[in-house]
Amino acid sequence: MTGTWTIFRREVGQYFAQPTAYLVAFGMLLLTGLYFNADLAFSVTERMVNPAVIPEFLSFILVFFAPLLTMRLLAEETREGTLELLLTAPVSDTPIVVGKFLGAWFYYTVLLALTFVYQFIVMQVTNADLGHSLCAYIGIWLYGGATLAVGLLFSALTENQVVAAFLAMATLLFLWLGDLAGQIVANLDLARLIRELTLGGHFSSSFAVGIVRAEDIAYYAGMIAIMLFISIRVVESKRWR
Amino acid sequence: MIEVENLTKHYGHHTAVDGLTFTADAGEIVGLLGPNGAGKTTTMRMLTGFMPPTSGSARIAGFDIFTDSLEVRKRVGYLPERVPLYPDMTVKGYVTFWAELRGAKQPRQQAERALEMVNLSDRRNTLVRNLSKGMRQRLGLAQALVHDPQVVILDEPTIGIDPQQVIEVRERVRALRQQHTVLFSTHILSEAEQICDRVVIINKGKIVAQGAPNALRQQLQHGVNLYVQISGANSATAGRLLSDLRGVQSVEAQGDGFIVRARQGADVRGDIAQRVVQAGYTLLEMRPVAMTLEEIFLDIVGKGQAS
Repeated sequence: MTGTWTIFRREVGQYFAQPTAYLVAFGMLLLTGLYFNADLAFSVTERMVNPAVIPEFLSFILVFFAPLLTMRLLAEETREGTLELLLTAPVSDTPIVVGKFLGAWFYYTVLLALTFVYQFIVMQVTNADLGHSLCAYIGIWLYGGATLAVGLLFSALTENQVVAAFLAMATLLFLWLGDLAGQIVANLDLARLIRELTLGGHFSSSFAVGIVRAEDIAYYAGMIAIMLFISIRVVESKRWR
Repeated sequence: MIEVENLTKHYGHHTAVDGLTFTADAGEIVGLLGPNGAGKTTTMRMLTGFMPPTSGSARIAGFDIFTDSLEVRKRVGYLPERVPLYPDMTVKGYVTFWAELRGAKQPRQQAERALEMVNLSDRRNTLVRNLSKGMRQRLGLAQALVHDPQVVILDEPTIGIDPQQVIEVRERVRALRQQHTVLFSTHILSEAEQICDRVVIINKGKIVAQGAPNALRQQLQHGVNLYVQISGANSATAGRLLSDLRGVQSVEAQGDGFIVRARQGADVRGDIAQRVVQAGYTLLEMRPVAMTLEEIFLDIVGKGQAS
């Protein structure tokens, strides 16, 4: 896996050098902040503070934000011709794709860490269930990794960043809404199967309620592995064209 | 250093490279010369390990490009035709990145040295996006040289930059001789003639001629051309006078004199002098005219297209 570290470092550097990444960070913090504020105001009068409020909200907006973080990764390299040079460097295709994915995941982790500020506020005003919060954060961290892996795949498939982002959003929305479809199916087994396949199904009723289950971790890890595997094959196929 | 054997590449039904065979020795600069679409870029892409050949093989520094691709790539520096750049990186960061990725032992120092080599040291903290076109070309060259490769492959490095910078790039390429083996593609003949130790001319994926520029000229020049100027005769009579000499193929008027084309191996100079004097005219000038590589090239490529 020589080269992964080099690619990873360059990608992280790129995130901090580009306006898109800051815009995504700004949008994410603005929306989570507004949502948190509303939830907090609601909690004061109506109910307990929900320890998983931010991760739950993120599970929805990541459908739109993850593709914006990943659309550049391989599409830009293909368009600018730098991929040709990367593919003639003495590294195999795997570290190129994996390094890029890890770079994106790292940047997302930084963004996620920024939202810890809400947890501090919650801790100041109430006796929050920190274990529950932590659990939800672990969940959304893995969930985010899976959405980024989907985004990366579409970035590998096209050299147009807008197309890459759009297709990834559509796919993620489908994976996210699938959960809803599962809820209106009468056949219980079918409903369960649909739910097992969706992104939300492995988050909303486990991590979000404070449970860490091996099968949910396996789902997200498996999703990441499959998406990376296909992305690597797609990059490899560019050599044969 | 570079041994190419029967290298072939098909794209679907289209044959881009068709059975190329040539070699480049250590420390040699070999020019790959041909019109656009002749298969130069495809050949280079195969040699750099970007794409596999359909059939045939090639070895670089003894390693097969297909089975030992990673070993080959360690030993090759490549500058594609469109210089691949990361506009948001600094000049130094860009070169260091490639040094690290290609496994250089001291990436920072080597990057610094490569920048010095292409005269960009004072720009090391500039963002790549702010460089001029010529500087970008030089940065591309720095990237190809940073890991001190045995073989440097440059795809049309002088395309699209101003004449002053073309000269600079050519000088840099020439300076690579001895330490590196250079494979260099161009469609400009005078460039190949100036820089290369050997030229491989390809057209439509096939080699049409190869050799040292001088040898190539001699080998392909059919017969000898002479420029002859005669005083005291009008062009029609003088033309008739020379054209029925034995060994003369054709006579064309050019400027104040004639271009006399003689058959291969025939030395007609003495006969011409004698004939002119006997006819009562004065021979003012007679000198051999060398065919330029340009003419030879057009000749060869034209034949290829006609057939």
